[in-house]
Amino acid sequence: MLVRFQSLLGLVLVLAGGLVFSPRRNGTILFLTVDNLANIVRAVSETGIIAVGMTFVIIAGGIDLSVGAVLGLAGVTAATLMVSHGWGTVAAILAVLVAGLLFGLIQGAVSTVMRIQAFVVTLAGLQVASGLARMVSGDKFININYGHGPGLAPPSFAILGDRLFGNVIPVSAVVFVLVGAIALVALNGTRFGQHVFAVGGNERAARLSGINVRRVKIITFGLCGLAAALSGVLDAGQLSFANPNSGTGYELTAIASVVIGGTSLFGGEGTVVGTVAGALLLGTLNNILQLNNVNADLQLIVTGLIIVAAAVLQNVAARRRAT
Amino acid sequence: MLNSLTRRRGVLAGIALAGLVLPVAACSDSSTPTAGSSAVAGALSKNCGSGKTFNIGFAQANNAEPYRQRVNADLIAEAKKYPEFKITIADGQGDDNKQISAVENFLTQQVDLLMISPFEAQPLTPAVTQVYQKGIPVVELDRQTVGDQYTAFVGGDNQAIGKQAGEYVAKTVLPSGGDVAILEGLTSTTPALQRTAGFQDGVKGNPNIHIVAVQPADWLPDKAQTVFDAMLRAHPSIKAVYANNDLMANGAYLALKGQNKVGQVAIVGTDGLPDPAGGDQAVVDGKFAATFVYPTGAAEALALAKSILVDCATSVDRNTVVPTSVVNKDTAPQLIAAAKD
Repeated sequence: MLVRFQSLLGLVLVLAGGLVFSPRRNGTILFLTVDNLANIVRAVSETGIIAVGMTFVIIAGGIDLSVGAVLGLAGVTAATLMVSHGWGTVAAILAVLVAGLLFGLIQGAVSTVMRIQAFVVTLAGLQVASGLARMVSGDKFININYGHGPGLAPPSFAILGDRLFGNVIPVSAVVFVLVGAIALVALNGTRFGQHVFAVGGNERAARLSGINVRRVKIITFGLCGLAAALSGVLDAGQLSFANPNSGTGYELTAIASVVIGGTSLFGGEGTVVGTVAGALLLGTLNNILQLNNVNADLQLIVTGLIIVAAAVLQNVAARRRAT
Repeated sequence: MLNSLTRRRGVLAGIALAGLVLPVAACSDSSTPTAGSSAVAGALSKNCGSGKTFNIGFAQANNAEPYRQRVNADLIAEAKKYPEFKITIADGQGDDNKQISAVENFLTQQVDLLMISPFEAQPLTPAVTQVYQKGIPVVELDRQTVGDQYTAFVGGDNQAIGKQAGEYVAKTVLPSGGDVAILEGLTSTTPALQRTAGFQDGVKGNPNIHIVAVQPADWLPDKAQTVFDAMLRAHPSIKAVYANNDLMANGAYLALKGQNKVGQVAIVGTDGLPDPAGGDQAVVDGKFAATFVYPTGAAEALALAKSILVDCATSVDRNTVVPTSVVNKDTAPQLIAAAKD
């Protein structure tokens, strides 16, 4: 099953490009330093985790535009629970993850039961989540200061912003890799995963073969909401700061990673590995361009071109398969 | 069959991606070596000395704001006076995570000095601290991080700017007093609170001035137009309005225009940018009575960089407050002309 690993190959190429075009200092290839590679993974971890969740939704034939706003909502909720209500780290994180899961499940239920397109439902979800985020935060930024007592968050929450293994590997990068691994098993090693492909590939056939299509779709939205909430918690932890506007536009970066990863927006096809590679490809590319002082405007344009290239390749392959 | 297809697709992907990356990366520069450091005991920079080239990285909070574009332009223009400096500006795009990456990348590139206007204080603090602790001098421009892990700060004093605007209204605009309104920036930001507080303090010198309305318009012109329109209807007696930035002052002008009251209410703004769309031109055009310059501090920041990098300073002023100046009919044309050079 060597399907849709275009992004993995693209990633290898971009990495090779990084080696060639990396600035050097005293014989060191700056791109290849452990710190730099860790920074790349850290930089894409939040959108990457969302993209992994999004992969399930898109394979099942849906889309979720609310994820960026859910990230912001999750961040301010976690911060408020700890700073204003004295919750512990674990309780606050669990509460936010459950809330994210529920938010996704509700969107999925509204979409499938009321037969409204996922695009519309999650567009509405985006508005609702960002409204809630502003409400929860009182439309203010929340600085998270650590310590014991009122107005302070438990110091253990700061671990999310730490680096492990000799202060090198960021915790968020580890979480990203774990999420990817779990998603890989869930999608390719379980009955549920098979059902996701079946529903996205041919909904009618899936229904006729006894799959509860509604349930499968609703669960994919739940997983995506969960992933977005997890990213929000990581965002707040890494920055020691929660802003109701955090995550604005992240849904688009996440969808870009999924598309570059070879997942079809028509559903039925896709891989977690492709998505993770797609996210890393975007991060690595931005890193190389920044290390060479190429300005941010051009980075956006290059990202756009890569998305188009990935989509074209997919079309070519699909057309050949059809003939 | 499927396998051969995917393989061909992989090759296509490879060609496409390589084609995209190669021309872009080709315009990179190979970093200039600054080896052979003459370590001066206690100097703020380990690499300092004359006759070298220095890479300065400036992590800007968000290029897409008129004031920040002015900062970038001033920095580039001022840097021409220092041929030994090579300035690179990285755009944080109004996103903490993006700006953190920019700072990390400057560290990877081993810049000789980091300049930064943090988008938000607390989130950027760990990244800036990391750079500072690796021995790279850090000059913060306009906005500060939390704590003391930086070399120097250069910026305006928002409270003082608001106070000067208040005194100007009290003495020059409305010497015989009257009702005054304030359009405030986003109230979750300190500049908005400080400018408003300073203004309220500044008008105290004239007991006949009464502040009848204070409303936030979130730095935005369209919001300011709506808010000020309502203010005018509620308080037709308003004779002057102070806006925390020029964009909102412009919104106030539009509201006046809508009610055919242009000329009956004096507008005083803040920022004083010399660009064609900036507040200085609005003063020349008679839309604003005055505006107060929020200085970019570019010249001061580069002077600090010179003493740190070239002169091997062992200490510099930790806080440089750049004074404001009033832009009125007399001074505006000069300021616009000076910025064109």
